[in-house]
Amino acid sequence: MFYLWRQTALELLGDDADPMQVALKAWEHIGLDTAKSYFPRTNLSKADWLTRMAGNFVGSWMMRGAKIRLEKGENENEVFIIWDRCPFPTSAKEFGATMEEDLAGCDMGLKTTVEQLAAFTNKKLNIETLKAIPKGEGACVRRLWVEE
Amino acid sequence: MKSQFFDEWQEKYKSMPGAQKYPHVFSPIKIGNLEIPNRVKYAATEDNLNSHDGFITKEDIAYMRMRARGVAGGIATMQGVTTDMLQMGQGYVGQACAAERKFLPGLTEMADAIKEEKAVANYQLMHCGRVGGHMVHKCEGPSAVPQRLRLFVPQEEMSHERCLQVIDEHAFAAEIGVEAGFEIMEISGIVGYLLSNFLSKYTNRRTDEFGGDLEGRFKFVGDCIKKVKSVIPETMPLIIRICAWEQLDDVNGNTMEESLEVYRLAQEAGVDSISITVGWQESVVPVISRDIDQGSWLWVPQKVKESGITVPVSMAYRLFKAEMADKAIADGVLDYWENCRPQIADPLMPLKFLEGREEDIRWCVACNVCLARLFRDAPMTCYISPTCAHEAQPDWYPENVPAEEPKNIWVVGAGVAGLEAAWTAAERGHTVTVFEKNSEPGGTLLDARQAPYNDYELYEVTTNFGVAQCEKRGVEVKYNTEVDADMIAEELPDAVVIATGANYVKGTAPGFDRDNVISLRDAINDLAPVGDNVVIYGNRKPAIGCALALAKKGKKVTIVGKEKTTGKDINPSFRWRYNIFLAQNGVKVYGDADIKEINDDGVIVRYYDGVKFPVKADTVVYAERESNNALKEACQENGIEFRLIGDAAFPRGVSGAVHDGYKTGLRI
Repeated sequence: MFYLWRQTALELLGDDADPMQVALKAWEHIGLDTAKSYFPRTNLSKADWLTRMAGNFVGSWMMRGAKIRLEKGENENEVFIIWDRCPFPTSAKEFGATMEEDLAGCDMGLKTTVEQLAAFTNKKLNIETLKAIPKGEGACVRRLWVEE
Repeated sequence: MKSQFFDEWQEKYKSMPGAQKYPHVFSPIKIGNLEIPNRVKYAATEDNLNSHDGFITKEDIAYMRMRARGVAGGIATMQGVTTDMLQMGQGYVGQACAAERKFLPGLTEMADAIKEEKAVANYQLMHCGRVGGHMVHKCEGPSAVPQRLRLFVPQEEMSHERCLQVIDEHAFAAEIGVEAGFEIMEISGIVGYLLSNFLSKYTNRRTDEFGGDLEGRFKFVGDCIKKVKSVIPETMPLIIRICAWEQLDDVNGNTMEESLEVYRLAQEAGVDSISITVGWQESVVPVISRDIDQGSWLWVPQKVKESGITVPVSMAYRLFKAEMADKAIADGVLDYWENCRPQIADPLMPLKFLEGREEDIRWCVACNVCLARLFRDAPMTCYISPTCAHEAQPDWYPENVPAEEPKNIWVVGAGVAGLEAAWTAAERGHTVTVFEKNSEPGGTLLDARQAPYNDYELYEVTTNFGVAQCEKRGVEVKYNTEVDADMIAEELPDAVVIATGANYVKGTAPGFDRDNVISLRDAINDLAPVGDNVVIYGNRKPAIGCALALAKKGKKVTIVGKEKTTGKDINPSFRWRYNIFLAQNGVKVYGDADIKEINDDGVIVRYYDGVKFPVKADTVVYAERESNNALKEACQENGIEFRLIGDAAFPRGVSGAVHDGYKTGLRI
C-alpha cells in the first residue's frame, strides 16, 4: 500500500519529482504518527521499559507484514529488533523503487519515531541499522539503545 | 471579615434540617481574612457555553446562577478564565477570557449574578498550558514535550521573556476579576494546565531559573502567586488548585512527596487555601469514574494535612455525599467540601441537603459524559440531568409550562424513562398513572444493577429519584399490572406513554433454540443455570455488564458481537475503563463477528474476515435487544395519543431513557 501511494504521489507531482524526497517525507510523517501511538504505551516505571518500547515496533511491523522479533542486548539499555522477512523491499521492486530508497525511507521512519520518543521520555534514545534486507544481508537488524 | 450574606445564612441555617444533620458542612470557615457561612464550594468547571472568543454569555450566567443558588451561602467558582490574548491558554472552545478590559462587563455580570444568589463569588485564573491552544492549534509550556494524547495540539517552549509576560498576564486578569466584583481569587494549576506543567519534571526540562530542581520548577508558580497577591486587596483570599499526586509515574512525573513539597512552597508563598486534586488528563490511572468507590481519595488530604499544611484544604473527587464530607471535616481530613460533577448533575445539591430534600437530588453517575462532550467542543451536557446547560430556558422546566389541557395519562413501564415522563407530566398538571408488570420499579436497570464496578449506582440514583418525584406529585404506580390492548381499548386514557423497554432477542443461527441458550436477564439474575464456559451474544453495554458479572463468579466468558467497536454505546471517556475491566477479568471479545451455529460443544463464530472457528460454551447468553413497542398498535387503533420513549423507541443507555422521559413529560 505504501508504494501504491508513492506511485500516486509521483504521478501527480510529474517527472521532476524526486522519488527519494517523496519517500523520505512520507516516512517522516509515518514516523511522527507512529510515535504518537506509542506514547500512551510508554511506561518508564517498568524496569524493562525499553524492551516494551521495542515491542511496539514489533507490533507495528507485524501489522505491516514483516516477520520480526526482538533479541536482548548486553544490558537493559539495549535491544535488537530483527526483521527476518519484510514485504517492503519486494513491493519496492514491483513499483520500481530502488533498494537505497527503500532502506532510507524505513530508516527515516524509525529515526523520526525514536526522536519523538526521546523527546517524550527525556531519554537519550537512539536507533541504528546494523544489517538490511535491501542490502542483500538477509535480515534487517536494528539496535535500539538508550545512552546513560 | 464576614462575607456579605454571612449573618443572613447563619440565621437561616438554624431552621434548616440539613444544618443539624451535617453540622460540620454547614458551619462557618475562615479562608484568609474572609469568613464564609458554610463549608461548601462549587469548583470551577468549563461548560463551553461562552463565545469562542471568550465573552461571557447569558447561558453561562444562568448556568452559574443556579450553581450559586445551590451552594447556599458557600463559594461558587466561575469557570477558569484564560489570561492571554494569544489564546494559547485557551483549553476549551467556550472558555471565558480576561486578558483585556473588553471582557470586564461580562465578568461583572457574572460576579453580580453569583452574589445575587447570596453566594461568595470566586474567580479562577486558568492558563491551560499543555492542554491549551485549542483555537490556535498550538499551545505553550515550559518545554516542548510531545503530546501523549492526540486530542491536544503541539506544544511550543516558552521563552524566558514569555514566562515573565504570562506571570504579568495572570496579574492583569486578576485585576479584572477584582474590578468585576469577585470576592475570592483562585489560580488553577491542575490536570496538565500551565502551572502544573512548570511543576512537573515530566513537562518541565528547562535549564533557566524556571526549571531544574523542584524549587526552580516552582518559581513560575511562586511568582504567579506573589504577583497576583500584589494586585488583589489584602482582604481577598487567594486559593490555589494543584495536584497532590500527578499519577504520572510512568513518564517520570513528580512523586507525591514532591507534590506535597509544592504544597508547602505554595503555603509559604502566601496562598490562603489549597484545593487538592489528583491525576492529570494524561494519567492512565482512573480518578473520577464510577468504578472508583466514593470517598476513595480521602487519604490524600489526610496525607496533605500530615505533611504540615495548615491553610484550609478542600477536595472534590468522588465525594458526592454530604455525610462523607461532614465526617471528613469532623475528622480534620478536609476543611471544606468541594463539588464539581455532582453540581453539574444537580446544581442545587448542597441546598437540597440543607433543606432535607435528599430524595430530590439528581445524583451524578460519574460517567464522564460531561468531560467527553467538553473535549469534543460540545456545550456542557449531563448524562443524567436533562436541564443541565438549559438554565437560561425557562420552558425547559415543567413547573414553567403548565398543561394547556390536563389529561389522564397512562405511563406503561416504571423504568427510568417511564418514571421520568410520569413525574414531569404530573408536575405540569396532568393526572398520571404508571403501570408496571414487575413488583418493583427499575425496568432494564434491574438487570444492569447486577453488574460490578458500581453499576448499581445507575439503578439507585435514577430509580429512587423517579419514584420519589412521582410520589411527591401524586402519581399512582400500579405494580404487578401488565397493560394490554384490551385494557387500553376499555379504559381509553387520553394519552399513553409507552415505556415498555426492550426485550432480549435470540440470534437466527441454528441452535439458538437449544436449552442452554438463555437470556441476559436469566443469566445475570441467577434465574437459570449458567455453565463454566459462557458465550455472550452481543457486544453492547448490557453484554459487557453481564460478561463482567459472570466473570466475577469465576466463569470463562467470551463475547461475540456484531458491533465493530465493543461498547460502542458507552461514551468514550468511560469505554476505556470497560475495555480494561474485560481484559482484567479474562473476558475474550470478538467484535465485528457473528454466531453461525450453536452445537453440543459450543458455538461456531464467524469473524469479520470470513474465518470460522469454534468457541467452547456450556451456556450461550443472548444480550442483543429489540424494542418492545407492542402497545403502539392498540393506541393507534383506538385513536389515542401516544409516545414511544426510552428503549421502547430504540434500545439505548440510561441517558436516552432519562432525557426521553423528561422531554416527553414536558411536551405531552
